[in-house]
Amino acid sequence: MTGSGPARTERRIIHIDMDAFFAAVEQRDDPRLRGLPVAVGGNRERGVVAAASYEARRFGIHSAMPSVTARRQCPELVFVPPRFDIYKAVSRQIHEVFARYTPLIQPLSLDEAYLDVTNPRLDRGSATAIAIEIRAAIRAETGLTASAGVSYNKFLAKLASDHRKPDGLFVITPKMGPGFVETLPVQRFHGVGPVTAARMQALGIHTGLDLRRQTRAFLAEHFGKAADYYYDVARGEDARPVEADRVRKSVGAETTFARDLARWEEVGAALEPVFAKTWAACERGGYAGRTVTVKVKYADFRQITRSRSGQEPVASRQELERIGLDLLRPCFPPPRGVRLLGVTISNIAGSEPHGWAQMALRFDRLNA
Amino acid sequence: MKFTAERATLLKALAHIQSVVEKRHTIPILANVMLSVRDGQLSLTATDMEIAIVEEVAAMPTRNGATTAPAATLYEIVRKLPEGAQVELDHAGGAAQLSLRAGRFATSLVVLPVEDFPNLTAGTLPHRFALPARALRGLIDRTRFAISTEETRYYLNGIYLHAAETAGQRTLRAVATDGHRLARVEEALPDGAGGMPGVIIPRKTVNEVRKLLEEFTGDAEIALSDTRIQFRAGPITLTSKLIDGTFPEYERVIPLGNDKVLRVGKKEFSEAVARVAAISQERARPVKLSLERDALVLSASSPEQGTASEELDGGTVTYQASPLEIGFQARFLNDVTEQIEGDVEFCFADGSAPTIVRNAGDTSALYVLMPMRV
Repeated sequence: MTGSGPARTERRIIHIDMDAFFAAVEQRDDPRLRGLPVAVGGNRERGVVAAASYEARRFGIHSAMPSVTARRQCPELVFVPPRFDIYKAVSRQIHEVFARYTPLIQPLSLDEAYLDVTNPRLDRGSATAIAIEIRAAIRAETGLTASAGVSYNKFLAKLASDHRKPDGLFVITPKMGPGFVETLPVQRFHGVGPVTAARMQALGIHTGLDLRRQTRAFLAEHFGKAADYYYDVARGEDARPVEADRVRKSVGAETTFARDLARWEEVGAALEPVFAKTWAACERGGYAGRTVTVKVKYADFRQITRSRSGQEPVASRQELERIGLDLLRPCFPPPRGVRLLGVTISNIAGSEPHGWAQMALRFDRLNA
Repeated sequence: MKFTAERATLLKALAHIQSVVEKRHTIPILANVMLSVRDGQLSLTATDMEIAIVEEVAAMPTRNGATTAPAATLYEIVRKLPEGAQVELDHAGGAAQLSLRAGRFATSLVVLPVEDFPNLTAGTLPHRFALPARALRGLIDRTRFAISTEETRYYLNGIYLHAAETAGQRTLRAVATDGHRLARVEEALPDGAGGMPGVIIPRKTVNEVRKLLEEFTGDAEIALSDTRIQFRAGPITLTSKLIDGTFPEYERVIPLGNDKVLRVGKKEFSEAVARVAAISQERARPVKLSLERDALVLSASSPEQGTASEELDGGTVTYQASPLEIGFQARFLNDVTEQIEGDVEFCFADGSAPTIVRNAGDTSALYVLMPMRV
């Protein structure tokens, strides 16, 4: 992004992604953990890995993996309980660094954000120069490393930050964009899950180039509403703006099944990863929501939703699962095969317009 | 069974009974009232399987026996009879219908067998004590607003009644919490309550008992076991199941070291809260309290409507501690101050810690409020 053509209209977007954030914070604060495979998360039977250090990733450990599986794959894995208060504090520090350069910051979670530096507060001549400074400032002020991707839209900036991870910086210029996407396997596209990737491959679509060769109509026929997005990103285009101070309204996950579901007995296992992912996202973002919504999409693409709101935010993954399954039970046996199930938590505390969140009495903790 | 009663007497008893009757009609007999004449005494009973209410009614009984008839229909009929009417109800043992006569009006109602009517009143209640109606009203009124309505935390859906000790005095304590605020009220421990187990009285029972106390001024007799509680207020006896659960160790959330003390006139404070909070229509709208020496500024804002603030000063405010800012839901403040007369005393630790609120001149009630955080 060093070009300086006079008629330049491209945006300049940076995607910053902290490297193995929770695990890195733990390794920073406890030197004994450095160099060891570390998993942040619950060690108990139903626990899930919230983050894994790079040492652990070499064993195939990744976030949202059940702790039991992780331990099996890497018996020497060190489990550390999460300290979300610390992660939030570090996240605020990082946010302050961003804010020196631009007010247009869209945090995706505690450890990831898009920055629009098209018209920066501090102009360093190029977005790349700003990204270099931000990475240096994060390292100096938090002792942690971040990867940065620089490009002309969010889709490519995110791909770029992933390209030289960890502790890397990569730039995708407008000239490089379409070419970069061309060679990219479809499963690497943000927004293409394993099932969609398999369906694309079955249609002979393996790379960005294959995807670009499809017509809008063809994509719409096979992928419904997502077609426009696929059509654009296959050309390296993505018009979504960086939404500053976007208040998170909901957190959720969904999964498309390779084979349509029909039996209630299959639902629990099928939804396990969805609950895990949703709950992990709540914890990562520090979100507490009162409403649980489940979505059922049938083989004919018709969908229904069911939701329930409590007075209090959902307090645990167990509670989320219980409410989610309670809501789904009456939907079975389904009238048609079920191709997708999703779970969302909304009515998030603090997303009220006044920005205040009601705190809870802590019966499990002694007051001083 | 046969008796004659005055319309007004019967109507009043049926009205009491009405609120307990199961309205969802999942089990038909629960929509019925049991009419029973035994040893020359008429009593009416209704139950929803959780609560049973029995009322002894003044009547002229002529034949013993019992049956059950649709409560809502009977109530409607009696209500529409002319004032001063004498109502005669007659049911021959085993008959399928109950006949009702009043003057020239006659009707017959389909009955259900009395044997099928659930009996909640059986069993022993080993712990017995009496409490003046005024004291029982005080325990209920000052705690029930804090009862949780969240079904998943069913053990908070009631008032926790138990024997305790405060400053060497044995007390009967009522506690309720919804997880954001807590109300703890106590009375001197009545004779007979010393060995009682801690029990959680369901919200519906609390509300029904409170209704009975509306027109009752004597001593309420309370009897209970681990699983049931009974309130007797004059001619009416209410028996209820208890919530089968463990109330949390609530003492843990009552802070001991809060040393920033604010005293403010109740009337001035609650009126200012109401005015400031009117800026927003949200349910969980916050009111911010900004404290400096002998000065309190209440403020609220709404992104759509704007801002509001009001200052209360030394005339009504006493505050000597370091400056503090803290936010509470307006309705939490209102619910508590409604129960207080005279001066309200707040004890704060900081802007994000549990805060104690009490009546400055009365230590029998203590409230804990959790603030809102920006």
